[in-house]
Parts: sequence; C-alpha cells; structure tokens
Amino acid sequence: MARKDLLDIASLHREEIEFLLDQSTSFKKLFTHSVKKIPALEGKSVLMLFYEASTRTHSSFEVAAKRLSAEVTNFDVAHSSITKGESVRETIETLQAMRTDYIVVRHSHPGLPGMIARQTTAAVINAGDGAHEHPTQALLDAFTIREKFPDPKGKKVLIIGDILHSRVARSTSTLLQKLGIEVAYLGPGSLVPKYVPESIRRFTDYEAAMAWAPDVVYLLRVQMERQDVQFFPSVREYHRVYGITTARLAEISDLGLYIMHPGPVNRGVELCDAVMDYERSLITNQVENGISVRMAVLDWLTPGGEFPRQESIYAARQRASSPVSIP
Amino acid sequence: MLLLQNARIASENSPVLLEGDVLIVEGKIQDIGSNLAIPEGARVIDARGRVLMPGMFDAHVHFRAPGFENKETITTGSEAAINGGITGVVMMPNTRPALDSATSVATVLENAKDRARIPVYTSGCVTKNREGKELAEIEGMRELGVKMLTDDGDTTSDPAVLLRAMQYATEFGMFFASHCEVPELAGPRAVNEGVMSYRLGIKGSPACAEEIIIDRDIRLARAAGAHVHIQHVSSKLGMETIRWWKSRGDVKVTAEVAPHHLLFTDEHIGDYDTNYKMNPPLRTQADCDALLEGLIEGVFDLIATDHAPHTPFEKAQDFISAPNGITGLDTALVTLHHFFVEPGKFGWDLVVKRYSAEPRRLMGLPVAAIEVGQQANCVLFNTEAETTFTKDFMKSKSQNTPFIDQTLKGRVDLVILGAEILLER
Ligand SMILES: [Zn+2]
Repeated sequence: MARKDLLDIASLHREEIEFLLDQSTSFKKLFTHSVKKIPALEGKSVLMLFYEASTRTHSSFEVAAKRLSAEVTNFDVAHSSITKGESVRETIETLQAMRTDYIVVRHSHPGLPGMIARQTTAAVINAGDGAHEHPTQALLDAFTIREKFPDPKGKKVLIIGDILHSRVARSTSTLLQKLGIEVAYLGPGSLVPKYVPESIRRFTDYEAAMAWAPDVVYLLRVQMERQDVQFFPSVREYHRVYGITTARLAEISDLGLYIMHPGPVNRGVELCDAVMDYERSLITNQVENGISVRMAVLDWLTPGGEFPRQESIYAARQRASSPVSIP
Repeated sequence: MLLLQNARIASENSPVLLEGDVLIVEGKIQDIGSNLAIPEGARVIDARGRVLMPGMFDAHVHFRAPGFENKETITTGSEAAINGGITGVVMMPNTRPALDSATSVATVLENAKDRARIPVYTSGCVTKNREGKELAEIEGMRELGVKMLTDDGDTTSDPAVLLRAMQYATEFGMFFASHCEVPELAGPRAVNEGVMSYRLGIKGSPACAEEIIIDRDIRLARAAGAHVHIQHVSSKLGMETIRWWKSRGDVKVTAEVAPHHLLFTDEHIGDYDTNYKMNPPLRTQADCDALLEGLIEGVFDLIATDHAPHTPFEKAQDFISAPNGITGLDTALVTLHHFFVEPGKFGWDLVVKRYSAEPRRLMGLPVAAIEVGQQANCVLFNTEAETTFTKDFMKSKSQNTPFIDQTLKGRVDLVILGAEILLER
C-alpha cells in the first residue's frame, strides 16, 4: 500500500491512518534518545515549496526531514509574487529537472499540490492548500488525541471558529470521523458553510454545543489577515460569542475537557491568556507531535515511478476522470 | 444538383420524421417527394435511415478574435460550427478590444466574411469596454446589423445604466442579452455553493447570485418596454423566475440554456477537473432536471452552447488559476442526440425548434427549413454511427471539453449551405 503522495485525508484508508499513527509513536520514542537522527532518508532530497508563509509547519517539516538524514532545500517562493498556476507549472519543470525526491508544498489554491503531484516523479506532500486540506495537521491532531484517548472511538470533538476558510477543519474532521470520533462545528453563521457533510453536527450556540458534552474543544485560528470581507462585527464580539473566555475556561476546567488549537494563537480572540497555562491544553503537544508525524509520512511515501510527460498531462487527466455517464 | 434519397426529414412542427427524397438545385430545395426522378447530372446520395434537418444556429459563441487568437479565430470557430452541423452563429463581444463601436464591429464582420464559410453575426457591447459605465456607440453598431447588445461575461452592474441603454436602444429595434450574476455574491471562482464547494475548499457561488439578476433585468426590460434575452440559465429558480415572468405576458423575454447545464452537475468537477469549470457554474441534479423541464416546456426558447475556447495550457493549471468555459460547437448536436433524443427525452422537432428556428427568429433572420423553395441549409445526421471526439476530430482551436476522447452515438455526415457542401463524412 505504498503511496507516492500525501495530498488529502479524504482518500486515506483507515489502515493507512493507523499505520501512520503507529509509526509516529515509534518516531516519537526516538526523541528521548541522545542521537535523534536515523538514516532512513540518507542521500534523499526534500524540497520545501512554500507559496504561503508558515514558520510553524515549515520548520516542523524541516526538522522531521533532517532527523531522517535527508537534505533539505528551500525554494524561495514565499516572497515572490509569482504564485499563479501558470508560473507554478514552470517551477515544476525546473524541479523535475533537479530530480528532487520529496516536495513539501503549501499554496493558497486548493488542488494545486495535486496538480504538482501529477507532473513530477517526486513524492508530494500537501502542507496546506487554500481551504482544502492539510493532511499532516490532521494526522498530528489525531495522534495528539490518541495519546490522551488510546481508544478514541465514540469520543467527541467540538471544532470552533472559521470553518469556511479552514483546511484544518476539513482535514481534521475527516480524519477524526474515520477513527470513529464524533465531530461538531460551531462558529459564526457567515463562517460555517451551509453545506457541511451531514455526518458533522452543527451548533449555532456555545451553550448548546457544550451540552453535547465534547471531550475536546478544538479552536481554529481566526484569520486576522482576511480583512477584505467582514465576516463578524468585531474581534471583541467574536471573543465574547465564540472564544474561550475566563468564565468559559473555568467551566471547561471543571468538566476536565481538553483544548486544542493548530496555532499560531491569537490571544484574547480564540482564547484568553490563561488557556496557555491550562493543564489540559494540548497546544504544545500538537507542535511536538507534528515532527514525529511528519517523519512517519516522509518515511512512508515512495517517490519515483512513471509519470506523464508535460504534453500528455491534459489527456491523462481526461482519461483518469470518469467517463461521461448518461444523466 | 443533388438528390438526397429516402431521408427522414425533421421539422420544428412535426414530432414524426417524414421520409422522402429532397432535390437541391442551384442551392435551393426544388422538390421533396417519394421516389423523385433522378435528373440528369444530379449527384445522388443515399440518405436512408439518416435524419435530414435544417442547419443549427448558435446564438452564443466566443470566437476570441480580436485579441485572443491563440484560443480561437473566426476561421477555426466557424469550422468547429460546421463540424457540429451548425450553419450560423452569433459571436459575443468580450474580445480585446471589446466590440463596443461601429469601427470594431465593422472590422470583425469584414474578417468574418473573408474567413468563415457560414454567416457569422456579432453582438455588441451595452457599455464602452464592457465597463458598465458609459453607453457604447449603439446606433453605429445597429447600422452594421447588430441586433443583440450584451456585456456578456459581466453583468451590467449599475441598473440605471442598463435601464437607460434599454430605453435608448429599443428605439432602434435592438434587444439585450444578459449574463446574470451579482459579482459580490458570486465570489471569485466558478463552483456552485454546495457540498462540492465545501469539499473542494472553494468559496461557492450561490444560485441566488444568478437569480437576482434574471429577475432584475426582466423588471428593467418591462420598465423600458425592451426585449431581454436571458443567457445560459443554470438554476431551477432561475428557470422558474423566467417561467413566471413569461406567464404574466407583459414583458418580452426570451431565454437560452446550454447543453452542459442540462448534462453536468458540480459533482463532475471531481478532483478539480478544469473542464468542468464554467460560469455560471454547474449546479445540482435538481437544477439539471428543472432546466430540461424548462426546455421541453418552452421556458427556454433556445439552446446555445456558450462555446468558450481556452488553450490546453490555460486549462491544465490548477482549478483556481484556470479560466472559465467549455467548447461546445463540435459536440453540441451529437450530445443532444446521445443524451436526449436517443433515450427519448425529447424529439428532433425540439432540437430543430430550439437550436435552429428560434435562435434565427431571435436574430430576426429567415428560419431555415427543409421545404420547397427554401435555400438549401441542411444537415444529414446519422443516428446509428458514432463520433469519437478526438483532438483530431475537433476543429476548434481549443479542446476544453469534458467530451474529449469520449465516444457518443450519432454523427454529422453532411452539411449543405446553398450550393456548397460544407462538410461530408
Ligand atoms: Zn458567454
């Protein structure tokens, strides 16, 4: 069941997920040793292609690759304005010529890592594509939850915030459901799509969501950079309606609930300062677990094999897409 | 002289196909009957089993010239039309420069005369450079034969501007074609708002973005006493809005539907297949069903493809970067046969009415029909043969269609226009 690429959670089988989570456990044990490096990817090259700035995910992948003894190169695109699909295709041609083994890509356009994967022999890892998917985040979230609940089936996770723009919400909810965890969304009406899958419960009110008795409250980052459109009246109002205020933290603490957040945190928006010291906050665990999960992913994927040449990609996609059926 | 023997003749007025021989002399239909005598020197074609119908007319095509000849030219576009059994088209004015003046329209019409083997008409812009601000030079375009005014691709955003244009141009006997979309609601990318837009992580375009303008533009036309033609409707409520207005009978409104909106849903986008990226976007099965209902009922006066060529390079990008649109001329007639006529959803009479007669009426042109005395303008269609839409088969310069490399039932065997055989297979 070797795969060339990790593009999404939706297409992962449960066995593959279990395998990756188990592998992550082994890699995490390695961290306690004095020598943290293993030669799994000795002589291999990992290229970081980040069209969107991200310190956290970027460095997490970098550390993971280096602990596997891979050589890491950064392709400087974050600061260039050339982020359109056409120029990405030109970049890919260059990369293919460089014969890199792994490409870790982040881009604001959903589906773009998939496009790259179809055009290169390198193993492509989606490190976040627009509001589509962020599979390694989902894996580290699941791993973090499984550390607290070794048998997570039937547990409940409440995801609060901007679902509309969140690849984390999409990937993590899909993965948790595959592990038998129940998922619910809560957020401003303007930021929770009307058409979320029926398997995900949707709450419109914090009290009702808490009455559902979640085991984990997962807060999404409010995308402060999205200022072109106003999705809620003010940050203060957001904090009051959807944030973990001091009063709500007391309730969460009494109930013994865990709190998660993909980072970086906007203090005073998604959560009050005191959450950072809350004993059941798993936010730093998530960061730590990101490294072992990404090691497991890099170790698992198999670069190489046949791939369609540039000219035939278009035709290949046609052939791959399902034949037109009579409606 | 050409004698087509034993053809099954289709007409907009008859659900049954009448079998007969058709004699064409000097580009005119001279006789129709059974067992016509073979005149000396006549070429005889055995048309047994095949359907003879008037040439189709597509009132919504993009030939991309001037400005985007890498996607399509008037020559390649009109050859794609002939390839699909279409013998007349109306081009949209969203070229570069936009067709917003007598000068630009004159140039494009002259080119068309030289470079196309079929009549090619053009619409003109409502506003200068399609910016929605200043009125285009409407009367100058009318003198050159322009009848349809549209800022296709963009809604004329300011209703006051459109109302004034309607009041002004109606005096000249012109009508308005509306691409219906509130840009602020439609969002940046062409995916229907629904389960699929959530899954793909793309901000969806709700059907109401389209429906609001359908209603708005009909109301404006009513206020101005103008004729408005609603382009490429994609939603159920859009169809019902037009149906309601038509039932009132106090405003002149016509409407069109494109084959792809009858055939595909947002589910077909699958893993970001850009061949299904179009505007208005593909919606749901319930919308497709309603559109078919509207077509059969006559809420939609005509079928038009919105033939929108783009180069393989542009379409082979990621979904967000790729442009909207799908080609349609090479494939439309075979598609209509394969998915609708053959399974018995509607008959050839509807195809002739909606894709040949009504679009010509809309443009104020004489209707083509297989009748004695008429100019020969006909298509011989083989319902038993198949067509495989390979890259080589397509005559359009671009092949951005989901039908590429698909095989469908039906084949355009012969296209005749006047004294000329435009295509024969
Ligand atoms: Zn158009």
